[in-house]
Parts: sequence; structure tokens; C-alpha cells
Amino acid sequence: MNTYFIKRFVAMIITLWLIITGTFFLMHTVPGSPFDEERTTNETIQKNREAYYQLDKPLILQYGNYLAALVQGDLGPSIKKPGQTVNDLLGRGFPISFELGLFTLILAIISGIILGVVAALRHNGWIDYLAMSIAVLGISIPNFVMATVLIQQLAVNIPIFPVATWSSPKHMVLPILALATGPMAIIARLTRTSMLEVLTQDYIKTAKAKGLSPVKIVFKHALRNALLPVVTVLGSLAASILTGTFVIEKIFAIPGMGKYFVDSINSRDYSVIMGTTVFYSALLILMLFLVDLTYGLLDPRIKLHKKEAE
Amino acid sequence: MKKLTILLAAVMLVLSLAACTANKDAGSEPKDDGKGKNEEKKTEKVLYLNNGQEPTSFDPPIGFDAVSWNALNNIMEGLTRLDENHQPQAATAEKWDISEDGKTYTFHIRENAKWSNGDDVTAEDFVYAWKRLLDPNTGSSAAFLGYFIEGGEEYNNGKGSADDVKVKAVDKKTFEVTLISPQAYFLSVIANPCFFPINEKVAKENPKWFAEANSYVSNGPFKLAEWNHDSDFTMVKNDKYWDVNNVKLDKVHWAMVDDANTEYQMYSTGELDTSDVPSELADKLFKEGDVKVEDQAGLYFYRFNVTKEPFQNENIRKAFALAIDQKQMVELVTKNQEKPAYGFVSYGFKDPEGNDFREHSGDLIKTDAVKAKELLKKGMEEEGYKKLPEVTLTYNTLDTHKKIAEALQQMFKENLGVDVKLANMESSVFATDQKALKFQFSRSSFLADYADPINFVENFITNSPMNRTGWSNAEFDKLIKDAKHEKDEKKRYEMMYKAEKILLDAAPIVPIHFYNQVYLQNKDVSGIVRHPVGYLELKWADKK
Repeated sequence: MNTYFIKRFVAMIITLWLIITGTFFLMHTVPGSPFDEERTTNETIQKNREAYYQLDKPLILQYGNYLAALVQGDLGPSIKKPGQTVNDLLGRGFPISFELGLFTLILAIISGIILGVVAALRHNGWIDYLAMSIAVLGISIPNFVMATVLIQQLAVNIPIFPVATWSSPKHMVLPILALATGPMAIIARLTRTSMLEVLTQDYIKTAKAKGLSPVKIVFKHALRNALLPVVTVLGSLAASILTGTFVIEKIFAIPGMGKYFVDSINSRDYSVIMGTTVFYSALLILMLFLVDLTYGLLDPRIKLHKKEAE
Repeated sequence: MKKLTILLAAVMLVLSLAACTANKDAGSEPKDDGKGKNEEKKTEKVLYLNNGQEPTSFDPPIGFDAVSWNALNNIMEGLTRLDENHQPQAATAEKWDISEDGKTYTFHIRENAKWSNGDDVTAEDFVYAWKRLLDPNTGSSAAFLGYFIEGGEEYNNGKGSADDVKVKAVDKKTFEVTLISPQAYFLSVIANPCFFPINEKVAKENPKWFAEANSYVSNGPFKLAEWNHDSDFTMVKNDKYWDVNNVKLDKVHWAMVDDANTEYQMYSTGELDTSDVPSELADKLFKEGDVKVEDQAGLYFYRFNVTKEPFQNENIRKAFALAIDQKQMVELVTKNQEKPAYGFVSYGFKDPEGNDFREHSGDLIKTDAVKAKELLKKGMEEEGYKKLPEVTLTYNTLDTHKKIAEALQQMFKENLGVDVKLANMESSVFATDQKALKFQFSRSSFLADYADPINFVENFITNSPMNRTGWSNAEFDKLIKDAKHEKDEKKRYEMMYKAEKILLDAAPIVPIHFYNQVYLQNKDVSGIVRHPVGYLELKWADKK
């Protein structure tokens, strides 16, 4: 058991290091610099600013300094937001994105699974068709369109909810709805497909023959197996939703961290590009690890370590 | 198996705890939905504005952009402040004396000018702030504005020292500054936020004093009360301000909504008092007549690269310039009620005789398809071209730029019979390549840093970082240099008129339209002043 964790941990660190190294050098090969603006800048000022952020040093030295600081948990100062560190930015953006993401995920998972199970149980019935139509719509309507429609209908035409910003539970409803439809649809389709497959298997017939109640069959026997593919997508889905969505955060003026992914690249804010990448990769790697652990929970046949498998 | 369950349970617990903390924070923030606002209205005057994004910084020499200026200009105050006619008026300085040669300014700071923490605003605070602006270690992009001061440029580029910068505190309330040459617009330049004072005592105790609302010490009509980074900030009337009786608003709440449609929708539901005009709704809103339009000092233009064929030839450049129909561009393409530009200096600058610079200078380059064709023919003969080398027009990727570029392509085809190719590029790459003179013909824009025509024309002196055309003209360079040293306003304006004419005659650039500020505003709100140089003035603003 322990050796498995140690091995896994080492692999995670190496993966992260590879990502950091790749991003660091790729980022510097992109033409343009943080100080290329339309505004007048004279050479002296430009040089002063570059020196201030140590951008005048050789790249390999910058890389070394970055890694050394990173090991101590220091993501460096933001170039475009003077006086603020990347730790500050992520420290206040992430909790908000996380809050939005968590509620979105809960809503998407619960409603997605219910839709999927119901559709599978009433296979080819009207409920199935209705549920799947909703799912197709959910997948094909981009969330920013959904967001605009929701704002227009539920905030402007019928003023039930505020248009934007993030200051009370009421403000959270529209962005969560807009963000949840996509993942909900994906989960619903996945659940339906694997439920249909599981329901035809022999052990389900056995369970039925034993006279178990339909509720028990579905939730104890069928769903547990059917959830494996759902869990697989959940890892990466959770990592991306929890770190915020650029478009939704922009439309609803939510102060999360989603915007840093895009803005930092546009403005070549090197330390923020690195910070968001490191953070996102670390979270993704962690999520994938959790997914693997969950496999073992859902399906005892999957063993995480050799000893028990033998 | 059990271990796993425990592990998972622990992870879930941590995650949900994190969510709870975030929840609590969100709950304690002030609510600004419709209800809360009405209740507040009865007791105090609160203005709801949108800053678009998180301010870059409220550190005066660093916050050198619109997202920082608008607020900074209202929480701080320099020696002068621009009035509703955009002219500099006494502010922190009560009065000033100017020496015979026009180079030395002695400012007398008001006795009752106080910081929000109760300290006196002193001459030393200005000395500290201005030297800090020029300090190479500050890395301020506004430092070049301080080059007017003797010793400023040398200090900033590392050749001189802080002690050689000619700013000094004669006594506690007297501040003296010596310029390299008489600058008639100096009083206007120092209204710029980068020249705001800094409370030296506070800054030395806490070098990051500007990063949070609770450590921010200011001297303007308002003071920073709350700052939720990336979300919103609030400023309240500063009761220590010397002119507090003329400040009418109690509070200004700034949201940070970066989406034009959301901003407009918040305006239409009353959550904001002003809004920009989203481009999709511009037609409709202009027709309804609710949109207000004001000048902005700056323009949209194109640069020719005189080091690349075929634009080394002046006649060919001019042919392209004359083929552009600026009027059609603003009426049919941009549709934002901009003024078409037939010169480089924008409207709103008065010469000593009271004439508007732009009107007096006239249309220096005006659409003329017939003449354009003649000039093209002439230019091609001069260069011995049988066929015009291929021309590529480059712009940075954005919808509005694309529309204008396509209209230009169409105009060149119709008026010159020339097919130009279009190319677009991501902004940062575009900026680098434009500075490196890699394009033939490319999109450009200029926003003035201070209110004087010299700020416009000086861009095109040889090797200026804003030149980016490869164009160089000795007579032009001399005129700009002389104008900067000229004490007589009349002569100075003559030089600038002449310089602008030389520039447009040689046509290394072609102006398209002047910028403007279009916005919607709650009818109960009055007195907001929008300066053409960019920043917002709320000192006199009021709300019913």
C-alpha cells in the first residue's frame, strides 16, 4: 500500500516538473514581452522595468530562480499587477472559483445521474427521449449563450435574480445554472449508456430473480458499476471547473481565477502564466489520483497495488 | 479498503470546509442588489460606477492607465486639478509663482491640506513622490513625464542621482521645482496622477501602503474605504479634504464588470449609474438619444513604414492617405459618432488667440480620390514601378480593427484600384513587430498623456519610441525641440502648427478618426467630468 503511494507521489512530482519546465521555456519563446504596449515607453524605462522583474537575466538563470522559489511555495510577483504576488492573486481567486465550481459540480452530478438513470430505466420511452434531448441541448449550447439567455430572462425581463457580481447567495444562482448545464449533460449521457449496458448483465438478472426491490437493484447493484466511466471524466472535469471559467466569470463579473488563465497569456504576465499552470496541473494530477482511488472503492476488482491483486 | 474510505472522507471534509470559508466571506460583503440600494439612498448619496477591471495599482507612479486613473484621481490630489473645462486650477497648491525665465515654479501648499490620517500635506511629500516617480528602481512607465524637471531624465536612466533632481522643499509648505525649459503646459501635466504626493512617513513605514484600503492614506476628495480585490471597491467622502464642503457624494461604489453587455444590463436594472454602449446596441441607443458623447484626446490612425517598399515614396504614401474616406468610416463603419480625423492633433486645445488648434490648423489631408490616383501614378513613375509592389495591411486581432481594415481595403480598391492584403496578429506580437518596423502599413492608436498639442506631434521626432515609421525630418525635429524651449505661447503654437503640417505633408501616417467617450448615465446623476486626457472627476458629482 505504502509503496504504491510513494511511487505515485514521485510520478506526480516528475509530471509536474515536466509541465513546469515545458511551460516555462515555451512561454518565453512566444514573441512579445509583458512591456509591449501601445503606450509610449522609452528604452530606459523599459530596461528599468525589465531589470526590476529580473527579465534581463539569462533564461536558464530565471528558470533556476523560479524553481528555487517555487519549492518554497513562492510563485513570484505579478508583472502586470504591481505590488501583488501570484500567491495573492490565486489565494483570493481560487476560493471563489472553487465555491462556484463545487456547487456547479454538485448540481451537475446529481441532476446528471438522475437524468441518466431515469433515461436508462425508461429506455426508448418518452422520458428517455426528453432526458436525452435536454442532454443534447446542454452539450450543444455553449455556456456563455446560456448565461446571456439566463441574464436576459431571469434578471432583466423578470427581475428575480441580480444581473451579475458575486456578493450574496442570490447572485450565485445564475452562474451556477449556466455553468452546470454542460457537465450535467455529459454526465447524463455517460450514465445512461453505461446503465443500459450494466442492466443487461447476468448479475442484474440474478438480483431480479432473487426478488430484490427495483430501487435496491438500481442503486446498490447497477449504478455502482455504471458510475465508473462517470468517475473517469469527473477527475479532469472537476479540475477545470474548480479553477474557474474565463467566460462565465467575465460575463457575471465573478472575481475568480478563471480570467488569469487567459489574461496572463495575452499580457505575457510570465509569473501569472506559470502560477496558473502549476496550480491547475497540480490540481489535475491530484484529481486523477483521487479518481484512481475511487475506482477501487466502486469496483473491488480493481486493485491499486500488486499484493492484494495476487 | 477502510483506509481508502477514511482518506476520501478526509479529502471531502477539507474540500467542504474550504467551500464554507469562501461562503462566509461572500456572505459578509455588502449587498448591492436593488433593495439595499434604495434603503441607502434615503440616508446618503451613493454613486454606482463600474471600473471594468481590478485597478493596476493605486500607487501613483505605477497606476498609469485608465483602470487606475479614474479612481486614483478622486482619492488623491496633486498640486493642480483639472476643472470642468479641463484647465488646471489650484488644488493642493493654493497659488504659485513662476520665475522670470519661466523655468522655476514655486508652489504654496494650502495650510489646511491634510492627509486622510490627519497629517499635513507637506512639500517634502511632493519631493519624495516626484523623486520616487523618477527613481529607476520604481520602474514607472510614467517616469518620462518627469523628464521636464531638471535632472529628471538623468536620474531615471541611471546617469544622475536623486540629489540632482531639481525639486526641493523650501519650507514645510513651499515646494520648488526647476524645469529644463519653460513649459506652458506644466501646470496641466502635473494634474496627472503620477505627480500626486505620497505621505512619506506612511510609505517609509509600510512600503506596500497602497495595496489595501486600510493602509491607504490619501489627500483627495474621497478616501478608500473598502477594496475587495478583483471584485469591487468603495470610496467615501474624505472629511479631512480641504474643500470637503464642495464634495456632494457620500460614497462611490465601483464594481469591476469586464463585459460590456453585462455592464449595460446592470445599468438597465439600476445596479449601475453609468455604462458604456455595447456595440451591438449602439445603433438603437444612439437613435433613442440617451447616449452622451464627449471628446477624448487621442486618435485612431495608420502608420506607413517608410523603410519598406512602396512606402519609401512620399507620393505613394499620400495617394493611399487621400484614398481613405474618414467621413464614411465613422458614419458607416465605426458608427460611434467619432469625429473624422484630417490632422493629428485632436480637438479641444486652444491657442493664445482662442482658436481651437484643430480648427485653425484645418484639414491637412482630405479625401480626394482623383488626386490620389494622380499621386499614385506620379509616385510609381518616380520609383520606376510598372506594377505596385504588393501591400499588406496589418492590424491587431479585434473585431473593430477588422471592420476598419476591411473598409480600408475596399476604399483602396475603389479609389486607387489597388488590391491590398489583410493580415492580423495577436496584440503583443503586433506591438513588438510594429516597433521593429516589420510591417508595411499597420493599425495604430494614440492617447494623449497630457493636454497639449506637443504631446501629439512629439511622437514623430526621429527615434521616438512612438515613431515606428522610420520617418525622420530634421526641420520637424528642430521645430519640436524649439517649441519645447519656447516661452512665448504664440510662437510656440506657430511652431506646432508648422510641425503638424510638415508631418501630414510627408504623410508617414494617416489619421482615421479621433477617439471619443460615449456613455449612458442615470438621469439623476450630474456633475461627472470626463477629461479628454482620460480620467474621471467626481469631486463635483451629485446624485438626486
